[in-house]
Amino acid sequence: MTGAPPEYFEDVVVGRVHQTPGLTLTRGHVIQFLGFGGAWDEAADDRRVPDLLPLCISSGLGFRLGPPLVVLALMGFEWQFLRPLYVGDTIRSRSSTVTKRSLREGGVIVEARDILDQSGEVTQSGRLTLFVAKRPAERA
Amino acid sequence: MLRPMASDDRRYFDEIQVGEAYESPGRTVTEADIVMFAGLSGDYNVLHTDAEFMKSSIFGERIAHGLLGLSIQSGLLTRGMRPYANIAFLGLRWKFKGPIKIGDTIRARAKVIGKKETSKSDRGIVTLSRQVLNQRGEVVQEGETDVMVARLQ
Repeated sequence: MTGAPPEYFEDVVVGRVHQTPGLTLTRGHVIQFLGFGGAWDEAADDRRVPDLLPLCISSGLGFRLGPPLVVLALMGFEWQFLRPLYVGDTIRSRSSTVTKRSLREGGVIVEARDILDQSGEVTQSGRLTLFVAKRPAERA
Repeated sequence: MLRPMASDDRRYFDEIQVGEAYESPGRTVTEADIVMFAGLSGDYNVLHTDAEFMKSSIFGERIAHGLLGLSIQSGLLTRGMRPYANIAFLGLRWKFKGPIKIGDTIRARAKVIGKKETSKSDRGIVTLSRQVLNQRGEVVQEGETDVMVARLQ
């Protein structure tokens, strides 16, 4: 099986909203995440989810939506943490493209993204700047 | 068993000075880190997971997720400074400037660039500028983080 064909810069529609399926945050996620940086003091509160973890997961949640956009690089982002998340909370990501700008080798898109909890409250929110591939030229 | 951080070790808004700088220990980023981060985040972009595809990319090989580098520096820096009496992580502005490749050793550098009082007298906002450097001293990521820190009462 080869899955759906990927989407390219040309396919991105400004203003179209995507909402991902949910994912329940567990202690397992937290332990695995803290292992990357070795900040074990944060594990002292065993219910609190490290703030950066839902942001990291939100990137992966987008892969469960269907044809993936061919992202060549995450260039930067700005992000706000609005409410704490706890083990057992279920998050989903809601995003839309704010602007797109064509360059010779690809395109830059700015994506607005919110992370929602199970009651629909926005817990984290921000904007990400992505460098995206253009559709390859058709082979003759 | 995990030992909770001694609470009296924490630093309050009042004692933190603009211009203070911190430096973390280094950490080598491995293939296992990238595989585990793909599994944890669900981000299986070919940039991080397809060695064959990446041979023909400008990087020549798989690169670490940018957010993996960010997550590692966050933990590393807590090991290079006395903890703040944090109330909340408010937000950040971040730029990814270069790739982190398998085998690269990264470390974090930070400096206090701003302190702001808030309408509540028991807390203030501290802004840190941060850089992630590789073993050649190249800045691969940089940005600013804002944290809400408790004041001495």
